[in-house]
Amino acid sequence: MMVETDKIRVPMREQPSEERVRNFDSVPLGYSEKEAMAEARRCIQCQDPACETKCPVNMKIRAMIEKIAEGDFKEAFLIAKEDNPIPAISGRVCPQEDQCEGVCTMGKKGDAINIGKLGAFLGDWAMRNGVTEELHIDERDKKVAVIGSGPAGISCAVDLRKLGYHVTLFEALHVAGGVLQYGIPAFRLPKDIVDYELTYLQKIGVDVRLNNIVGQNVMFDELRREFDAIFIGTGAGAPRFLKIEGEELMGVYSANEFLIRVNLMKAYDFPRHDTPIVCGSRVGVIGAGNVAMDAARCAVRLGAKEVYILYRRTKRESPAREEELHHALEEGVIFMELVNPTKLLGSEDGWVKGIELVRMKLGEPDSSGRPRPVKIDGSEFIMELDTMVNALGTVPNRLFLDRTPELETTSWGGIKVDENLMTNIVGVFAGGDSTSGGATVIQALGEGKKAAASIHDYLSGR
Amino acid sequence: MFRITRKEDLNAMDYLIEVEAPMVAERFQPGNFAILITVPQGERIPMSIQKVEDGKIAMFIKRLGKTSIELDGFEVGDSLESVIGPLGKPPEIKRYGNVVVASDLVCGHAENYALCKALQKIEGNHVISIQTFPTKDDVYPTEELSEAVCDEYYLTTLDGSQGIKGHYNDLLKDLLDEGKVDIVFAGGDIPALRDLAKLTELYDVPTIVTVRQIMIDATGMCGSCRIFVDGEMKLTCIDGPMFDAHKLDFKDIINRLSMFKKKEGEAMEYIKSKTVDK
Ligand SMILES: Cc1cc2nc3c(=O)[nH]c(=O)nc-3n(C[C@H](O)[C@H](O)[C@H](O)COP(=O)(O)OP(=O)(O)OC[C@H]3O[C@@H](n4cnc5c(N)ncnc54)[C@H](O)[C@@H]3O)c2cc1C
Ligand SMILES: Cc1cc2nc3c(=O)[nH]c(=O)nc-3n(C[C@H](O)[C@H](O)[C@H](O)COP(=O)(O)OP(=O)(O)OC[C@H]3O[C@@H](n4cnc5c(N)ncnc54)[C@H](O)[C@@H]3O)c2cc1C
Ligand code: SF4
Ligand code: SF4
Ligand code: FES
Repeated sequence: MMVETDKIRVPMREQPSEERVRNFDSVPLGYSEKEAMAEARRCIQCQDPACETKCPVNMKIRAMIEKIAEGDFKEAFLIAKEDNPIPAISGRVCPQEDQCEGVCTMGKKGDAINIGKLGAFLGDWAMRNGVTEELHIDERDKKVAVIGSGPAGISCAVDLRKLGYHVTLFEALHVAGGVLQYGIPAFRLPKDIVDYELTYLQKIGVDVRLNNIVGQNVMFDELRREFDAIFIGTGAGAPRFLKIEGEELMGVYSANEFLIRVNLMKAYDFPRHDTPIVCGSRVGVIGAGNVAMDAARCAVRLGAKEVYILYRRTKRESPAREEELHHALEEGVIFMELVNPTKLLGSEDGWVKGIELVRMKLGEPDSSGRPRPVKIDGSEFIMELDTMVNALGTVPNRLFLDRTPELETTSWGGIKVDENLMTNIVGVFAGGDSTSGGATVIQALGEGKKAAASIHDYLSGR
Repeated sequence: MFRITRKEDLNAMDYLIEVEAPMVAERFQPGNFAILITVPQGERIPMSIQKVEDGKIAMFIKRLGKTSIELDGFEVGDSLESVIGPLGKPPEIKRYGNVVVASDLVCGHAENYALCKALQKIEGNHVISIQTFPTKDDVYPTEELSEAVCDEYYLTTLDGSQGIKGHYNDLLKDLLDEGKVDIVFAGGDIPALRDLAKLTELYDVPTIVTVRQIMIDATGMCGSCRIFVDGEMKLTCIDGPMFDAHKLDFKDIINRLSMFKKKEGEAMEYIKSKTVDK
């Protein structure tokens, strides 16, 4: 019989919003061992756990939670690691409400089990206690190149290395981690956690080569000659612009630029860190996904007085994680629904000073199943702004694709792959955002794993 | 890695720095640039490459703001945090006929050298280099000028204290009038490049200029370096930095370069306060 208290989650302690808007430290403070055990005990250990089928990497959630409930964190951690090399990260960034937690049986009558935060707890616990899985690697003589060190590249490299392959990971930036490093802010994903996972990569013997831009200072042809197989996990890191008047103005950023300055280059710590950012007091962010929320919440922390999310649909259709949207609103971000930008207005000296928006209404559902926003003619109005961040989403990076014309791509520029994630070139595989155009950390990670398995089959002649 | 092997003053503002960067040196083509990170908490700053030799690259740097001044405090034997490259899409090195390569600022002078050296080696090219300095006191040491790597050389100073009086654009007008020019490559001060574009357009002479724009990743990911070429958005880091001057919108380029002026001032104040602390 379910007692009333079982219906309610063990609450997650958080930095209060008035405090956290002044720093870049983690908002959730994490479960203590006691809290984690209490939360885990709420799990009824379903016979047929729906949570596991909805997890893109099919983590053995039930067994993991059972061990947490018993206080056997080490065993729980090892179970988590079997399917997911980075539980500390996925636990913080997965859209759990659409995945594991969305179908949790406990969620039907009360709160779903906080599966994400339990995963994060385990990752953090293992890091604090120096617990890692014991590895015995049987070396093989084949070499694999992995291009890009985002979640797809990381998981592919880890799995192949565990199988004994010699793995070289090429990363264009001076820091590894992909979006985990340059995109997702530290208040959601503290950077020591990302760094720890990357150190692990090197510890197990992956040769990580930073500042190696394939197609620019390392040629794809050379890799094809030198390596027995290649995995492409270059992501979809190029910004999309609105193509409206005024995008050349100063004070107009792509979300990528805004977030790279803040996260990768640590502009929030300027001038101790050298890279500057100019963030005004009235900031408009176009879009309402995770990227938009991240940019808006960074702007709040950089001292903006008013930060607006400008979205052509309504809050209900926002693709952002629930937790993010909730945190953004708590931090004072203003959500302006049903507006679409038509042009940017500039001052004499070339700075953005406002935006012209047109009001929208919701029409018939489109191919994504969400109601299509329709323009209301003549409803244009002007809003004053001194900073504009464009978070419309991203597209695959042109640099790599331009220089590898032999790779087949889709109409929107993604890399084409078959069901084993092999591209049109034999022995060359791809996954993550470079093939999907932009999805989630866990999906990219899952594809990295799947590609590793395919590469193993390919190299062992199966 | 990235050890400094040579460092010399070029004039009161500019200095030459040579750094071990084998990967960059091996793949360098004239027109490429590198990104430097001087210290772990440093920014990523783009720098043109003058010369490569034995795994080392030479650059000309102006003491302009925080990073370039801080780097001036490094000595031979010290190492930089990172040197990344080569970056950018270099222009085609081929037979053009009469080629003028012109420059009036630090980065332009570095490229001038690299371009002349490569273009001069191509049969059928006659390479004319023009380098402009404000006064004779600003002129670089002879061995760092392009004189030795071109077929015809002109040095100009704005005040006429050395070489020909005037700017490269003034001299170029004469060459254009003589019908001696098939193509112009130029780099340096952006307003001067705008004047150059106006000038060569009258003569219908193709003109390729180096656009400097504020960069971060220099791999096409941030859009900070965006410019408009014939109305179409291009990224200076991966589509450039060299572009057809007749298609550029110089007003926006000049504007955007000043985006972080105020912050750069704060950064300078910060390093001054740090030195006082010591
Ligand atoms: C701001 C932001 C917030 C997000 N929030 C969430 C979230 O909360 N939850 C979630 O699940 N997902 C989120 N996402 C999406 C998620 O981060 C991506 O789907 C995921 O990171 C994709 O992984 P990937 O490995 O394919 O590529 P990436 O993480 O993009 O990594 C690609 C790597 O390849 C490198 N690279 C590119 N070209 C080259 C080259 N030529 N040579 C060498 N290296 C190269 C890049 O520098 C980069 O490091 C967010 C994305 C952004 C931008
Ligand atoms: C392709 C390219 C080649 C260049 N080659 C040279 C060169 O050979 N020699 C040289 O001295 N300089 C060169 N520059 C300019 C050089 O990058 C800047 O002078 C340098 O970043 C200044 O940094 P700072 O901290 O010393 O000065 P700051 O005070 O930070 O900046 C001074 C000015 O430099 C420019 N600038 C600042 N940051 C950047 C950045 N991240 N990217 C580009 N420009 C910036 C801005 O116009 C700014 O107003 C080049 C720039 C580009 C884009
Ligand atoms: S990886 Fe993501 S979806 Fe899977 S269990 Fe963890 S939080 Fe849920
Ligand atoms: S669905 Fe929920 S209650 Fe059932 S096993 Fe999974 S976490 Fe436990
Ligand atoms: S510097 Fe970021 S796109 Fe060019």
